[in-house]
Amino acid sequence: MATMLRTRPRHRRLVVRNTVAGWTFILPNFIGFAALTLIPVVVLFYMAFTNWNVFGVADWVGTANFRRMWNDASFWTALRNTLYYTVFHIPLTMAAALGLALLLNRKLRGVAFFRTVAFFPYITSIVAIAVVWNQLFSPEYGPVNAFLRGLGADNPPGWTTSADWSMPAVIIVGTWRYMGYYMLLFLAGLQTIPAQLYEAAQIDGATPWQRFVNVTLPGLRHTTFFVTVMLTIESFKVFDLILVMTDGGPGQSTLVLSQYIYQKGFEENQFGYASAISIVLFAICFGITVIQFMVNKRRNS
Amino acid sequence: MKRTMPAAIAAATALALVLAGCGGEDEPTDPNAPVTITLAGWSLSTTPEFKTLADGFHATHPNVTVELKEYDTTNYDTQMTADLAAGTAPDVYVMKNLKNFYTYQNGGQLLDVSSATSGLSGVSSVAAYQVDGKAYAVPYRQDSWVLFYNKDLFAKAKVNPPDGSWTWDDYATAAKALTTGLKVAGAKATGTYQHVFQSTVQGFALAQTPDADLLSGDFSYLKPYYQRSLDLQAAGAQPTFGTANTNKLTYQAQFGKQQSAMLLMGTWYIATLLKQRTTGDADTFEWGIAPAPQFDKSTTGTSATPVTFGDPTGLGINPKASKAKQDAAKQFLTYVASEDAGKALAGIGITPAQVTDAVTQTLFGLQGVPQDDLSRFAYAKHTIKPENPVSKHTAGLQNLLNETHSAILSDSTPLDKAITDAQARAKNEVLNQ
Repeated sequence: MATMLRTRPRHRRLVVRNTVAGWTFILPNFIGFAALTLIPVVVLFYMAFTNWNVFGVADWVGTANFRRMWNDASFWTALRNTLYYTVFHIPLTMAAALGLALLLNRKLRGVAFFRTVAFFPYITSIVAIAVVWNQLFSPEYGPVNAFLRGLGADNPPGWTTSADWSMPAVIIVGTWRYMGYYMLLFLAGLQTIPAQLYEAAQIDGATPWQRFVNVTLPGLRHTTFFVTVMLTIESFKVFDLILVMTDGGPGQSTLVLSQYIYQKGFEENQFGYASAISIVLFAICFGITVIQFMVNKRRNS
Repeated sequence: MKRTMPAAIAAATALALVLAGCGGEDEPTDPNAPVTITLAGWSLSTTPEFKTLADGFHATHPNVTVELKEYDTTNYDTQMTADLAAGTAPDVYVMKNLKNFYTYQNGGQLLDVSSATSGLSGVSSVAAYQVDGKAYAVPYRQDSWVLFYNKDLFAKAKVNPPDGSWTWDDYATAAKALTTGLKVAGAKATGTYQHVFQSTVQGFALAQTPDADLLSGDFSYLKPYYQRSLDLQAAGAQPTFGTANTNKLTYQAQFGKQQSAMLLMGTWYIATLLKQRTTGDADTFEWGIAPAPQFDKSTTGTSATPVTFGDPTGLGINPKASKAKQDAAKQFLTYVASEDAGKALAGIGITPAQVTDAVTQTLFGLQGVPQDDLSRFAYAKHTIKPENPVSKHTAGLQNLLNETHSAILSDSTPLDKAITDAQARAKNEVLNQ
């Protein structure tokens, strides 16, 4: 045994030792990741092709779940609503977060306080947010409509009680909740832009707008890219906020994909069908992220 | 990655074996040997019914101990499903409603308990749990929906209180008269309160309309009931659906704090109201219960039998329990639907599966329960139809009808269109599965 070991090349032993050491370091994390994420995800891909009802019966049904989805009007409603949310939530949150970051990137008195305030919504319990905003939006007694009436609106919107206004209401709250978090990312990005660039631009006579477009935005490109990717994924899988704020209603006006998955899976025990919808949601998120990466790469070069 | 896969598989297999080992193995059965069975329950500190049943059974069967296992109230079915799938569920567990009974039964998670129901011919709701002539659960509670009303507010508004003869039109007229009368008297309360549950409209419509059938996919029976609700909220005789939702109104505070003079609710609210009167969460006022308003005059009046709805709450047995535990659990199931258990439950304000004279006597002997004849009549005499007929389509249909409910009552979709949409969705998304 001992002679065998001695005859082995030294570097080979080192590689093995390093590999073992490496795995040992990530093992605690990896076990959790594997048990709670990796294995369930792999199982999900299998379940999407079965009619699993949670208690063992999981017969292979081929693409039946996907064909069913194609003809399922509720699925398309949920997809449309998800896109509706995403299309407005991303630019609004980006603009609000960037605006806040620019505002709070100066040497103001109490800037730390204002930064904390802007971050508050993000760390507040989502249930508390839903309850409070629902009351603010209350059509008859809520302060939002009282304010709008004060401005002269005769017929202020019904917000969460109206099928036309429930999605805008959710988007407003979603934007308000997440802008603080992305502001923080933008703030970090802003600090990395060298001050000399601004000075040089100023000497060249650039206006504040020109400095913003030609110095700030290019300097923030990596941050912007990261924020866009995170925001896109976060928007597509929006769930908790809608579940507690409108529960998908009134009617199906705020029903989004992840809630539809929840409904089919946990309320109707059609885990096979729910898995199939999750795969579609995953494919959408994945596809859009890949496109974003490609666009970003092309811009970089 | 490659290296850990075999280890991960081995670990998973070991785990699966351990879990499977928790399942049932046959033991020799001696009817008098000491046995402990576990029973699922929720919010044990505020829901005494499980302990009442466990203690009552232990008193007559001293060799059987019923141990309680606590679950979360709102996530009960999700947690139970997970435990059953993992093989760690208790021996006896509760069917909170009929909607999920099908899932458990069809999923092979309920033992055939027909032998336990043989002596329970007087309990009508036993039939709710029968599939192909076999019983898979036994009811221990059977709540029904009635009309709670505040006698003080009726007097203040100078409106005649219900006398058992009400159809829905009489109810709507009274609700409007109450609202006006209360305003004149300087009170802010509304005539009635309809909680945001879909049951408050759809449960009655399904139970009372002749030939209404949830599984037919024809929902035209809902129309008159929704017209009345829309009319009542437009007239200000009840808080609108939007207000109730955005302000998270609770029916307990709405009736208990005298914000509304009437409330349609299940009989479980009797126990809650009695308790809240002692804790101060509800005011002390004269109240009563009346039969739910009826579809037409043919079922009104105290000589007829009013029609209402309500799902039984039942207990079923986990098929993975050992033989000895199964036998003890079956005895327990026979007990929970008996009159003895009924009296014990009535003693804590709960409506048992079998409402006999003795049960009514016990319940109306509680401190704070109204003593008038109409309340007794409303409590004891009625035909109860299930809200959720047992079928694989029930959960899907109820979910889409819940969306229809919010679309109609929020005035988002005109009534006729909402019903047509619901019928189309039922046909294309649920009934074709």
